[in-house]
Amino acid sequence: MEDQEYWESDPELLDFDRDRHIYYLLMMYQLLPSPYQGQEINRLTLAYFVISGLDILRALDRIDKEAVINWVLSLQAHPRNDSTLEKGQFYGFHGSRSSQFQSNNNGAAILNGSHLASTYCALAILKTVGYDLSLIDSELLLKSMKDLQQPDGCFMPIHTGGETDLRFVFCAAAICSMLGNWNGMDREKAKEYIVNCQSYDGGFGLIPGSESHGGATYCAVASLKLMGFIEEDLLSKKASCHIINVPLLLDWSLQKQAQDGGFQGRANKPTDTCYAFWVGGVLRILGADTFINESALRGFLSTCQSEYGGFSKFPRLLPDLYHSYYGFCAYSLLKEPGLNSLCVELGITDVAAVGL
Amino acid sequence: MNRGVEEERARIPMSQRPEWADIRPVPQYDGPNPVVPIAYTDEFSETMDYFRAVYLADERSPRALQLTKEAIFLNSGNYTVWQFRRLILDALNVDLHEELHFVDQITKDNSKNYQIWRWVAEKLGTQIASKELEFTREIFSQDAKNYHAWSHRQWVLQALGGWENELAYCDELLEDDIFNNSAWNQRYFVVTRSPLLGGLEVMRDSEVAFAIKAILAKPENESPWRYLHGLYKNDVNSLVNDPRVASVCLDVLLDKRDCVHALNMVLDLLSHHHQPSNELKDAVDAVSPDPKPSDSNFAERVCSILQLVDPIRASYWRWRKTSIPAQD
Repeated sequence: MEDQEYWESDPELLDFDRDRHIYYLLMMYQLLPSPYQGQEINRLTLAYFVISGLDILRALDRIDKEAVINWVLSLQAHPRNDSTLEKGQFYGFHGSRSSQFQSNNNGAAILNGSHLASTYCALAILKTVGYDLSLIDSELLLKSMKDLQQPDGCFMPIHTGGETDLRFVFCAAAICSMLGNWNGMDREKAKEYIVNCQSYDGGFGLIPGSESHGGATYCAVASLKLMGFIEEDLLSKKASCHIINVPLLLDWSLQKQAQDGGFQGRANKPTDTCYAFWVGGVLRILGADTFINESALRGFLSTCQSEYGGFSKFPRLLPDLYHSYYGFCAYSLLKEPGLNSLCVELGITDVAAVGL
Repeated sequence: MNRGVEEERARIPMSQRPEWADIRPVPQYDGPNPVVPIAYTDEFSETMDYFRAVYLADERSPRALQLTKEAIFLNSGNYTVWQFRRLILDALNVDLHEELHFVDQITKDNSKNYQIWRWVAEKLGTQIASKELEFTREIFSQDAKNYHAWSHRQWVLQALGGWENELAYCDELLEDDIFNNSAWNQRYFVVTRSPLLGGLEVMRDSEVAFAIKAILAKPENESPWRYLHGLYKNDVNSLVNDPRVASVCLDVLLDKRDCVHALNMVLDLLSHHHQPSNELKDAVDAVSPDPKPSDSNFAERVCSILQLVDPIRASYWRWRKTSIPAQD
């Protein structure tokens, strides 16, 4: 056993390059390179990474908030007339123009393709830029969202069907929370589904029976927190939460910090930048983030920091927007100076969550 | 999916294809101040402009079907295109076995589209169960931990059957890589849910033996330890009372090999009022680095040792001391 672990040795490695990260996000805000076209359908999610990212970095003043608000609102799905309300369609937000078509008169059934994840991103962006969400027609949104909930408590992402898993339970819970209205879902049923997703090893899978996974575990714990089924600082108050196995969850989560300092998403898999948020966030919600070895984590994250700004999944790769955003989130959790703090369970800053 | 540069050069723009001469492409209207615009390639823009045209015209023709294929290659997550493709497949009464083959190819490259499989699979019925199991097996030969492929395989088993060889398949995967946590999870899935095996309690005995064998081979492997613990889910007293559990901890400690998981299991047993043998206590003390902790309470001593042998989690092990139930 060494006298000094490698992460304690080189201070230069540890600097978070805030200015460069801001430049990176602003570049993406202006224009996303062609390789992102495969993600066209959820461009709103990419916008969320940029805008919430700038908020974390305290650089939101660099963008035109009015333009953002107008663009996001233009992606909201509206019924053409009252008669279309009956058909079980979801009136949320589209991820981009690719699923949004102007109505026409040739009789073709234009499917409303608004999506639960895009709706979450839309509301998160609007909250981040300070838009008053009470101006949104939330009644129709929430009523139609409830139709997406399945008998087992899980959620479909679009009304025409799609994979159902914990990601969409999280989106639904966050949407209800941001709109301040729980009519959009049956919380008890959602809770049952989440409980069924806890694996034998304490982590959560995306679907009951699936392997425990950092991202799924975040969705589970954040949802329970938002819905009011988990108390504040579970461990420090020594409260016992019976609906899920908390000690096993805690042990599983902490074991995901590997010897290189980073977090894995699953047992025996490589460490990856984003799990510093997914798993680190779970630990924060549980009040157990003090057990994370912060200098080791910083050591790992700094090797994933790109000289071009942003973060990559693994060391020495090119950065991408997803890993950049979760890299910024991770540094925020580490209380990096100059960054805004996070409302972990909502996936936006505290400042954004609190609002006006 | 990325096309090679040569493929792009070889591609004939749609505006030059005579079979599309009658269609006026519909450009994307992004609004006056779009946020995060994407630098679409010409191929992408053009393909999607033509897609918009056939979609708005509701043209369910063979050429529209081919167009959806091209659009899917460029943007396989676009569910609007997939939905329209389904409408065309229905309208044209296409052979869905062909479609399954196409979907298989797309899904290999983009693992998020397994929902598409289900639509086709549900239409073709249970006859395709073995085909789908074979297909996921092929994926696992390249990427044995592909998350969405595993979800799909579980769905196939539960919806369409085919459980007969699943436990044997888990054996195979674990022989290839005893660290494959996805395979351990699948094993748990089979043992607890297969209608052919009798359930967890029936299987527990042999599965405990299996886990122990894996632990002794690689005690640093987290997976079999979690699996062993999981075999006693909702019945922790049986875990504590099964002499094989304390015994495997002892064996690992005596061998002086990586002992973090073993010590954690000992701590777990102690938390549930297991009475440790003197042999176990001695073995634990023997693996402790110097200076040896002096906690008189054995469970606290285990925590102190864990702080030393697993320093990255030192503050957690220190905290665990505070939540140990009083010794009997």
